[in-house]
Amino acid sequence: MNPETLGQALLSVTVLVGLVPLLPLLAAGAIALRLLLGRARGDAAEPPTARIAVAAGFAALVLLLAMDLGAALAVPPGQCLVAVWFASAGLAVNLSFTLDWLGLGVATLVAGIGWLTLAFAANYLHREPGFHRFYLGLCVFLAGMLLLVLAGNVLLAFVGWELAGIASYLLIAYAWQRPVATANAQFAFITNRIGDAGLLVGIGLAAWWFNSFEWPALAGDGRLQSIMARLLVFGFVIAALAKSAQLPFTPWIARALEGPTPSSAIFYGAVMVHAGVFLLLRLEPVLLQAPDVMAGLVVAGVATAVYAWLCGLVQTDVKSLLVFATVFQVALMFVWCGLGWFALAAWHLGLHAAWRAWQFLVAPSWLQWTVAPPAPPPAWLARRQWLYTAALQRFWLDRLADVLLARPTQSLAQDVRGFDERIIDRALGEPGRGRSAVRETPLVVADGLPGRLLLWVSEHLQGLEAHLSLRGRGGAMDMLLRRLGAHLRMVEALLEQPRYLMLAVMATFVVII
Amino acid sequence: MDASAAARERLRHWVEHLEHVLPAQAPIRDFVHHNTLHGFQHLPFAEALAAVHRLTGAEPYLPEQRFRDFHAAGRIDDSDLASALEDIGCTDLDREVLPGITRRRILLAALLEPPELPAAASLAWRQREATVADPALWALCRQRWGAAVGVGLADDAVWEAEAVRVWRTLWQKVGQDWSLRALLEHLTGEDVLEAVRTVLQRHLAAHLDLGVAAWRNPQRANGFYAAWRASAGKDFAWELGELSGARDELAWLPADAFAALLQELAILVPDEQAWFPYVERLVLELPGWSGMFLWRDRHPERGDGTPVDMVDYLAVRVILERLLTEDLLRRLTGAAMTLDDLHDHFAARPAEFYVRHGLRAHALPEELAHAAEALINPAAERPPVGDAPWRQLARRIARWQETESGAPTAWARYRLLRRLGLAAETVAAWNDLQVAELLREATAIAGLRRREVWLLAYETHYRQQIFAALAANHGRCRPQVRPRVQAVLCMDDREEGTRRHLEELAPDIETFGAAGFFGVPMLWQGLDDAQPVALCPVVVRPAHLVREEALAADAGRRHGERRGRRLLWREHLLQGTGRASLAAPMLAAAAAPGALAALAASILLPAWAGEVARRWRDRFEGRPATRPQVTAPAGSPPATADAPRAGLTDDEQAAWVLGFLRMIGLTDRFAPLVLMLGHGSGSNNNPHRAAYDCGACSGRHGGPNARVFAAMANRDAVRQRLAARGLSIPAGTWFVAAQHNTCDDSVEWYDTDLVPASRHGEFDRLVAQLAEACRAHAAERCRRLASAPAAANPWQARRHMAGRRHDISQARPELGHATNAAALIGRRTMSRGLFLDRRVFLISYDPSQDADGTIVEGILLAAGPVGAGISLEYYFSTVDNERFGCGSKVTHNLAGLFGVMEGADSDLRTGLPLQMVEIHEAMRLLVVVEQTTAVLSAIVARQPALQELIGNGWISVAAQDPDSGALSRFCPRRGWLPWQGATVLPQVARGRDWYSGRREALPPALLLEGRS
Repeated sequence: MNPETLGQALLSVTVLVGLVPLLPLLAAGAIALRLLLGRARGDAAEPPTARIAVAAGFAALVLLLAMDLGAALAVPPGQCLVAVWFASAGLAVNLSFTLDWLGLGVATLVAGIGWLTLAFAANYLHREPGFHRFYLGLCVFLAGMLLLVLAGNVLLAFVGWELAGIASYLLIAYAWQRPVATANAQFAFITNRIGDAGLLVGIGLAAWWFNSFEWPALAGDGRLQSIMARLLVFGFVIAALAKSAQLPFTPWIARALEGPTPSSAIFYGAVMVHAGVFLLLRLEPVLLQAPDVMAGLVVAGVATAVYAWLCGLVQTDVKSLLVFATVFQVALMFVWCGLGWFALAAWHLGLHAAWRAWQFLVAPSWLQWTVAPPAPPPAWLARRQWLYTAALQRFWLDRLADVLLARPTQSLAQDVRGFDERIIDRALGEPGRGRSAVRETPLVVADGLPGRLLLWVSEHLQGLEAHLSLRGRGGAMDMLLRRLGAHLRMVEALLEQPRYLMLAVMATFVVII
Repeated sequence: MDASAAARERLRHWVEHLEHVLPAQAPIRDFVHHNTLHGFQHLPFAEALAAVHRLTGAEPYLPEQRFRDFHAAGRIDDSDLASALEDIGCTDLDREVLPGITRRRILLAALLEPPELPAAASLAWRQREATVADPALWALCRQRWGAAVGVGLADDAVWEAEAVRVWRTLWQKVGQDWSLRALLEHLTGEDVLEAVRTVLQRHLAAHLDLGVAAWRNPQRANGFYAAWRASAGKDFAWELGELSGARDELAWLPADAFAALLQELAILVPDEQAWFPYVERLVLELPGWSGMFLWRDRHPERGDGTPVDMVDYLAVRVILERLLTEDLLRRLTGAAMTLDDLHDHFAARPAEFYVRHGLRAHALPEELAHAAEALINPAAERPPVGDAPWRQLARRIARWQETESGAPTAWARYRLLRRLGLAAETVAAWNDLQVAELLREATAIAGLRRREVWLLAYETHYRQQIFAALAANHGRCRPQVRPRVQAVLCMDDREEGTRRHLEELAPDIETFGAAGFFGVPMLWQGLDDAQPVALCPVVVRPAHLVREEALAADAGRRHGERRGRRLLWREHLLQGTGRASLAAPMLAAAAAPGALAALAASILLPAWAGEVARRWRDRFEGRPATRPQVTAPAGSPPATADAPRAGLTDDEQAAWVLGFLRMIGLTDRFAPLVLMLGHGSGSNNNPHRAAYDCGACSGRHGGPNARVFAAMANRDAVRQRLAARGLSIPAGTWFVAAQHNTCDDSVEWYDTDLVPASRHGEFDRLVAQLAEACRAHAAERCRRLASAPAAANPWQARRHMAGRRHDISQARPELGHATNAAALIGRRTMSRGLFLDRRVFLISYDPSQDADGTIVEGILLAAGPVGAGISLEYYFSTVDNERFGCGSKVTHNLAGLFGVMEGADSDLRTGLPLQMVEIHEAMRLLVVVEQTTAVLSAIVARQPALQELIGNGWISVAAQDPDSGALSRFCPRRGWLPWQGATVLPQVARGRDWYSGRREALPPALLLEGRS
């Protein structure tokens, strides 16, 4: 068998590519089920959870490696359409995957690091109250990341993007008993929603202009007006900046270190922080049509690099130190993208992720592994009191974001609650507060609009009932009911037939979608 | 001037006093076990714990429910409780309080019922959902006690008066039990410290940093106050936090921290008497950081040259407190006001206070809580106008309290009567006086006293088991006439297992235990060490330095160079990629493939990866043969702690060897081989690594001490001097040294090439037997580790332990001292042939050679504090891991190379992590000494340190008579109490037969094999 045919044979597993993100998601589902059924208690419950997750991660990795090998021996399959989810009026939503070198390479790396982190956590989180919750979060994250990097269209990528974001939120708040942890989780969540808004804008414009969500279609046919390309790209760039913690969004990542070390490693050291860079790499053809946005990327990247350098200099704890070093290198990747050096950025992404995973996971060893104090900053910088204060306060960005973003959101929530309490609750009524409407029937009490309405209706119905049913058999009511019963029996018989059952299920799906 | 000098003097005293209340943990690299409450050791145990509970709110005992679970599981029985009641001074337990009901019965019943009253709502729910076991009794209780308790509260005047009274007591707490911040938090729910805590912590970490940050505060050379002030004066956070005036105020502060402290304190608390308690409160709000700051203030030589002065820190804390509370007061009341004004403010608004207090102090029903919350934190900026809404709500709360009926009280009494097994008719027949008498007895022990009784009972249960074992074992073993090998190990509780297995394997081996520095208090500089480190108990300052040097100078040099190069590269790689530099991407890219491989190997095959890494390292660097340079050249200057001298003179060596051998009672019957076995622990990725090492060697490895001791004892010059002083070691005796790794149960041998040819056969046998014993020990250890194979054979177990040692993901490389519970000081015949479950420190001592007790006095003075330190640190970290311990390792983040935080923004956490203490049984150390009570009494009487430790009950002491084997224990209240009890013990052939298949802590058993 020559390499080419072997490669083709291996590539036949691409029909299973959907399993790659699906397996971790199924693992998450299984763990969630165990939690729900109360099976996740005690020491004995830990190994099954860990095994499910690790096996899913490993299976995903093996599938990807087979595809990698096949791609190496033959050619990367490129855009693969697995199924059409739904299509209407020329706009098709596909279950498609982009299996080029970028997607396959990054996915393999993500699966590899994810698998190792899942294995790592089995010992590290032993006997933690949140053991199963942690695995659940990590599996959701892995599914999301794999979906994001393999997705053939921007909608699927968005689903992956959101799954990863939710998992990140859940694991920052892992120690939910600590107010600091939950506040930081909330902060990260809110900041990342801005990025999501950008992504949604991009998706909307793509649907509007191209009638397609597929990555290749987004490049357009070269006839896209530059203003349109800019608008489209701008949304995606905002998303990338937020997810990869570039200025002005950097503060959230330094506050996201509250989770267990393995989650800090995989989210903010190795994998998720690179998601923004990956998005830019995916959008290379579109980006190239908007040179001024690329210039903007260089500016954002350089600014973030300087910011991370200054802040990194004053950090006194190892995790913060590493996270600013990470942001610095990710900022450089943005610069490479801005300069059009996409291949360099891709290699940088992969190598950096691998190294950082290791470095974050061995962060507790810093005490034993370093002996010399770090090199001091240049003399001109060392004595700047204002700059020092600014770096220590991270240029007040998180305070600003708090004032501008998080607090207004909280006030909004408070107002909504106030509205809820004052208007909605009163309108709906609350249990136990009802007043009886009729003095002589104290049993029947009602509160709120619906309650009063129901009371009113029931009183009238009672009258009607007395009117109709008391006339006995053979009355108009009796006949009507008999006829209705016969019709209902027929509908039931029809529904029992498979084709109508299918129809009903599909109708349900349509409603859901 | 004089006044200022006096004030300064007073301040110095304050700072000294703060040492008693703050954690005294050294930077984590030098972690050594110590009593968490060392500052309270001058008080009796129970009083100290109560004092700490009052001061910090920490729980000094296990939760009562845990004790009741122990009772249900048979780990505490009624006789233990009765004995505990007698211990705390509850006499006449057999007195009949009511006909047929003894005091004992009442107290036991009261202890077995939770003292907390159930909430009215939960009680109502329970009555709806379940039936009451004895309806008649319940009806009776409801009738007697079910009436409302807060009589008259619904009356406006009554609750108003109550509010004013409560407000006054709360207000008076400021400066005593509360800071103003705490009072305001109680009133508003807003913690003003939160606004600045993060940046304060960053400033503190930056000032104390020992090598993480590259850029430090430019003003740090002028002290913390100056550095903080310089930064805070340029900080926009004040404006962002709506404290716009703060920067101006900072500019006007005195430049001197001391002056600033006095000035601000005077504004904050007018009453000078309250200043110190107030400052104490403030530092306890961030105990971890405060404790580390104070430690560095007290140990300037262990810092990096940055001046650390506690007064600076106090000044900053007080200034922040003043600024922030002033701001909150203004927002709360609409005007700036002093503490006295605040009192008048709320005294004039009892309704508002009643609502605010009600929300924090009581579990208000949801509806009331909502309403109160809405008044206190109005949704939009629409504060409630006037007093009316407050009054309205206050009335509702008062009415609720009024109707919050006596049902919970009735329920508690019902449970008590049920527990006493009383029927409704019996109770109905009693008059009020009788009932009151019963209730008085039942509540005679309340609060922390209850758990003190429970703890005593828990300890009693274990003590009975140990006493029974010692009594049953007395006379079962005889000293060996001519042992084949004598092995001296550390007294460490973990080595109990090693010794037991070694003896089971080779009954002709005799073992000894002693503090693991083997009487060699030295500075040691190994071949790979950049600096000498002290290998001796922390309280000792060594005067002698011993260096390890390569036999072949060029091999040593080559090793040093290559190792230096390897470490330099690692340093470059970590520091280079851990920081933002343009070289970082290159370094990371170059190291990435290796890192990925290392990650996979060390997670999937940790033992293999560790072994391969070691082999590569050895191949690259070589392992040159070395010798410790023990002997000082003739004519060396005298050795002092200030100017340590390299090497020891022959006389000094002889003195150390003689002193040590006499102490452990090894003065004759020398075996052909004497093994000195030090110990240390190896683990990866573990900031608390030092906590697993040898406590007698300042949290380091004790192998070098064993090695130096053996080298000295083998020298002819030393032996001649020993013989001259009456201790002759036969020429045929050879001392060998090794180090036991308590994590993976491996053994590293030293200087084996020196073993005389005539001993080679014997030596080979010993090496094989020790390795086999260690494997068996590893198999025993598996039973306490949930993630270890359940029924591992010794080889599998050893492999599993090797994996744990090298595994970067392992948060429990081993369990450390988690099982420690007792210490035996005496001959091995006392404990040989007993299975003690790795729970006892074994310290060798021969009472027959120590008639006046001078030797045991030395042992108690040295080993007492070490054992107590370990036991009490584990105790406190177990009972309240949140306050005394440092929480779970999984979110730990190394700060400044001196401690750990949770995440990147928390107080510094001290004490032991949860993973080290989760199987620990929290009880005080029981020390049993093989000596007469008379000798021990005399020793304690002349040693203040022991009086404190023993007289105050920080450890409990018992004596076993060397001849008769009679046991008595020392009660601080009643003196020596002889013990009588059953001496029936399970008998098994080998320890394995007793423990296999069981995962919990086991009581002692008699072993039929392994006796001499």
